Amino acid sequence: MTMKGFDHGNRGIGVRNHQLILPSVVCSTRVSSRIAKEMDAITFAHQHGCGFIGNDVGRITDYFAALANHPNVSSTLIVGLGCETLQGNELADKLLSKNKSTNYLVTQESGGVQGTVDSGVAAARELRTKYPTPQVVLPRLHLGIDLSNESPVVTDLVAALADVGVDVTISSSHKNSGLNFSDLMEAGVHVILSFPDSNQPASGFPLIPTINVASNSPLHLALKDDFDLFASSSVVEIIEKIYAVVNGEQTKVEVIGAGEIIAAREVRSV
Amino acid sequence: MRCEVSNQLTAFERSDGRWGLRNHVLILPLHSAFSATARKIADDSSGAVAVSHDWSGEVDGDFDRIVKTISGFAANPNNFATIFITIGTPNELAIIELAKKIGLGKFEVLNVAELGSMSKIADIGLQMANSLLKEAKLSQRISAPWSAIKLGQECGGSDALSGITANPALGVASDRLVGLGSSSVLGETTEILGAEHLLAARAITPEIGARIVETVARYERSINYEGIDMRGAQPSRGNIEGGLTTLEEKSLGAAKKAGSAQFSGVFEYADQVINPGLYFMDTPGHDTEQLTGFAAAGINIVVFTTGRGTPTGSAIVPTIKVATNTTMAIAIPDLIDLNAGTIADGIATLTDVGGELFDLILEVANGKLTKAEKGLHHEFSLSRMYNTVIR
Repeated sequence: MTMKGFDHGNRGIGVRNHQLILPSVVCSTRVSSRIAKEMDAITFAHQHGCGFIGNDVGRITDYFAALANHPNVSSTLIVGLGCETLQGNELADKLLSKNKSTNYLVTQESGGVQGTVDSGVAAARELRTKYPTPQVVLPRLHLGIDLSNESPVVTDLVAALADVGVDVTISSSHKNSGLNFSDLMEAGVHVILSFPDSNQPASGFPLIPTINVASNSPLHLALKDDFDLFASSSVVEIIEKIYAVVNGEQTKVEVIGAGEIIAAREVRSV
Repeated sequence: MRCEVSNQLTAFERSDGRWGLRNHVLILPLHSAFSATARKIADDSSGAVAVSHDWSGEVDGDFDRIVKTISGFAANPNNFATIFITIGTPNELAIIELAKKIGLGKFEVLNVAELGSMSKIADIGLQMANSLLKEAKLSQRISAPWSAIKLGQECGGSDALSGITANPALGVASDRLVGLGSSSVLGETTEILGAEHLLAARAITPEIGARIVETVARYERSINYEGIDMRGAQPSRGNIEGGLTTLEEKSLGAAKKAGSAQFSGVFEYADQVINPGLYFMDTPGHDTEQLTGFAAAGINIVVFTTGRGTPTGSAIVPTIKVATNTTMAIAIPDLIDLNAGTIADGIATLTDVGGELFDLILEVANGKLTKAEKGLHHEFSLSRMYNTVIR
């Protein structure tokens, strides 16, 4: 099976060609979403970047850096406010040391909201022009499995994936798929196969296509239209779906646009 | 407390006697996975608002706080109606039940498990939102008493002028509102650290004063428990760049927002603000956690002073931005509603700007849109107390 990929330089070869508009603080999430909408890029809402202390500052900075360095990302525009704890220019410097296709903007120095949106759209366009993404063959797929819910199919699936040369990272640390997604993102997986807890709905992650597999729980049966695969799906069907998604088929949650980030914190905000 | 009838203030009277200064239809997901669906409904509708959050139904040490926050937000009197998107778990239903206890709002429930999928919810939710928006347009503002105003005080991105211009101007406006019978609430526990004794001295009873002091001490203890010195993190880098030198200087300036009225009580985070008077609420300094907590407390209008400039707002509570300095007010005009920097420029007095701000609060209460509202800044953050890494 040939897999299509996008050459994202030092980030690696991705299965999606997403430009990331990364708000480095909650205060710039709205500006980021306006830029992202204009550019058909990816962004997300979050509540981090300021009013936090201790290990969380490094933890969230590393988390954002991992997002920006993800292989599915073509280029990153960081949008900061200016006075926040997590400084956009420092994050940018950290990213630039690995990936030149990075830029950052600061609302307090860009003439306000409209000014930042205008310069942001221009900066995002420039990144795309300056760093075009060649389409290539993906030599090796890295699949993440969110095992919030145990599934009898997983053992056979993992063996079959090994046979076809797919790398697999399994996260089962949390009952909360969102936290497992974050772990898998940091591991750099291209695609996530999610087995959500039987009492949890299908969900997704902003940069990484997420295939949801339903269990036979009453909730999952009731929400079957949000799931890509089911408890009855065979190993072959699951692998076919993974390849289809790698090659561009949108997952159910990608179509809806569902994808939040859940970034864990150690200490309450101040 | 006297409660004077105002000839100037108009608002939407709710069936339980509370007053809304806005008439929003709010789309509120009770699970993070439905945030995108909620946003889509709001974006496609003819004016509904939505919020996103990162709670996925966890029951941990923060559960009660999260239930209180989301239910209070849903029940805020600025909402004409709230549409909950739920999968129908008992924990999500607890939020809806608590919202109903807080206020007699119009609550609609879209149960994804009953309706089948997120895309169906998006279609049904859109029809429901548009029909509620039509209904909302039929309700009229009527003359309201001053007690209808529940003002929240906030500052963010403070600088060396905060304590001289915008914050004391807000103090003037707050004092006037409190005198007329409105409620006014100071928050940001971490940002009055070092000035709590001055606020405590203004409490109507020694017990309330002691509670202000203890609330600040309790916050610091909770951070010290983590082995972190909060005093080392304040003033923040942005504050220092703005010319603030010490935590005490920042706190003394921040406390000026509360004017000179007496403190009638202390609230826990997101407690319902019901009676007139000046209060202190235990909130983080984190701008959007505070703003969300205020909204959850039934506060229906906020004045947010800023030195460095910030665009943040609430989906349901109008947030008036007051600049502490003219340079910033000119540099980033599309997020500032009033410039208090004129006081430092020697062009206006504190009384002048306090009066202007009072007038602006009244105008905004009567329906004038703030810059944050026009820009659709609908940030929402859940305030948590505990570690989420190990959950």
